[in-house]
Amino acid sequence: MANILRSCIRSSLGDLQTAKEKIKSSEIELGKKEIQAIEGKVSLPYYSLSEKIEDTYKSIYGVLHNVVDELLEGFSQSQKERTAIIVGTSIIDWNSIHSIESSNYEYKRKPFSTSKRSIDSYAKDISNSFGLNGFTQTINTACTSSANALLEASNLIDAGLYDYVIVVGIEVFSEMMSSGFYAMQLLSSTTLKSFDTDRDGTILGEAIAAILVSNEDSPWKIKGGYSNCDALSITSASENGQEFINMMRNSLMDAGVTAQEITALKAHATATSSNDIAEINAIKNVFESSVVFTALKPYIGHTIGACGALEIALFMACIDDGFLPRTMNHKKSILTEYIPLLEHKECFEGTFMLNFFGFGGNNTSIILTKEQK
Amino acid sequence: MKLYVHAISSFRSDREILDIKKELKQKYKVDIRRKEEFIFAGLLGAMRLKENISFLEDSELYITSGYGNIEILSKMNNYILEEGDNIKLFDFINMLGNTTNFYVAKALDIKGKSIFCISDEFTYFHMLITLYVSLLKRNNDAIVGAIDVVPKNPEVIKRVANIDNDIDVITSVMFQKMSLNPINALCCLEFDTKFYTFEEIQEYIQMTSLKIYTSMRCQEIQRQTKSYFETDISCIVNDSILNKEDCCYIECYNSRYKILKIMSQ
Repeated sequence: MANILRSCIRSSLGDLQTAKEKIKSSEIELGKKEIQAIEGKVSLPYYSLSEKIEDTYKSIYGVLHNVVDELLEGFSQSQKERTAIIVGTSIIDWNSIHSIESSNYEYKRKPFSTSKRSIDSYAKDISNSFGLNGFTQTINTACTSSANALLEASNLIDAGLYDYVIVVGIEVFSEMMSSGFYAMQLLSSTTLKSFDTDRDGTILGEAIAAILVSNEDSPWKIKGGYSNCDALSITSASENGQEFINMMRNSLMDAGVTAQEITALKAHATATSSNDIAEINAIKNVFESSVVFTALKPYIGHTIGACGALEIALFMACIDDGFLPRTMNHKKSILTEYIPLLEHKECFEGTFMLNFFGFGGNNTSIILTKEQK
Repeated sequence: MKLYVHAISSFRSDREILDIKKELKQKYKVDIRRKEEFIFAGLLGAMRLKENISFLEDSELYITSGYGNIEILSKMNNYILEEGDNIKLFDFINMLGNTTNFYVAKALDIKGKSIFCISDEFTYFHMLITLYVSLLKRNNDAIVGAIDVVPKNPEVIKRVANIDNDIDVITSVMFQKMSLNPINALCCLEFDTKFYTFEEIQEYIQMTSLKIYTSMRCQEIQRQTKSYFETDISCIVNDSILNKEDCCYIECYNSRYKILKIMSQ
């Protein structure tokens, strides 16, 4: 069985330890970003990385390199040579942008590069820099990208093909991405209020997160999961959450656990009108009596392709510290009988479902177990 | 590792003159609104694959590409970042890699796992490894699509892929239906996780009785080519089935080689 050995993040709340402490004390750091909209320049709330990063390949790669360096601390060269890497992201492919600009605009003309580049170049450059085994892959399934990367990593480990797989989630500010969400009227101008009757949209954020998966013993085990492509439309699920219900049931079946055995659920909980209603209806359907559920996005924002790796890492860090984080900013639930966790709850171990949904009908559910040693 | 191919569909712009959009609209009655070239290419592969076979609802879908959907990025870069215009909603949605998967899955009436993935090096090989381990777990069917689409300015691809300016870049869409089941398969794909050295490849070439195809990136054993697309290997798979020819394909990046054996059943 694939286990999670370690994780390492950079987020709007800082590194893993700092972010966990800030979640505990419910301190968030919400900044602003300006984007171009039909009505002119618009300033919107945004969860920026605590360390300065630019939307260039070099800048993103620099932070990613530090994260992986920290993740692999103490790793021997022999271990690194048995390590693959899978990145999940919906980030703009800056290598393509440079080629487009060099080709289309004379004043930006640059010499040809000396190697093939693509959105996977982050993974390839990390693999080459750390002397990994050369298996690199980048998955782009919108908001489920790095959650899907974790499931793929788990398959590779379970099949015994590789000893270690690094799963990375990357997302940094992109005007194109933010403008797209704004044009779809999905962005809040206030705060991110998951499952709240007053929710007015999501708030995007930046993150670079990495998780190390292996068959080596660890308290955290990837018990199972399921991923599918099923939606009412390219941007939304049915209001009754039928697509999410199917995914959660299949995930439980894959993990060999019942809904009653789930200690707590980390919801996707974007705080958009359509996602939250579909998701809470699905939760109600799958967990017929009740279930403890919570959301992490109010603390760190919606980090799109990175949210899988980031939220899994943060969730595990909180449990390791003995608490289930409350759903911040929540006052009144969409469904009165299904209220997300309002106060931190003591929890050291259990079986947890972590859900992620994305544009393009991608739905992913991962079930983890933590055993206290 | 062995995967069995049960059905294929092919399109190459240097072999067939076709208005893909028109073909989708007229022959397959596909709704072409709010989509663009990369998605059209994926839909063409799907509709052609669908002509003779059916699919299980939970079939998995894997789409890979050498460089992704460059045209949409180029278009958006021009009007948003260069001209300061506002984003168009469907350009934003079409920019996401898995949007093509969504439309292909809908066209094939499948709802299983759906992954859009790219590897800088060995993209088709790495996708095969990913889907193989997934099928091992669920013993499912998988639909594989390899899509490379030439944008309006082909120089962009030459720069991304770092190929010579005098090489012709072509659009290619190759689909395969695969499983772990050898019964009624058209061919078997054999591969492993190993990266071979040049010396090992030389030895293999001398030992094998199979016909050998190589990627244009195999500098030392390069075949003569004047045309290029990154997922060339997927075309060799389909061609070998159509020509009933057992063969192997050798790919190379930075002095590391991989071998795919394509054996008829």
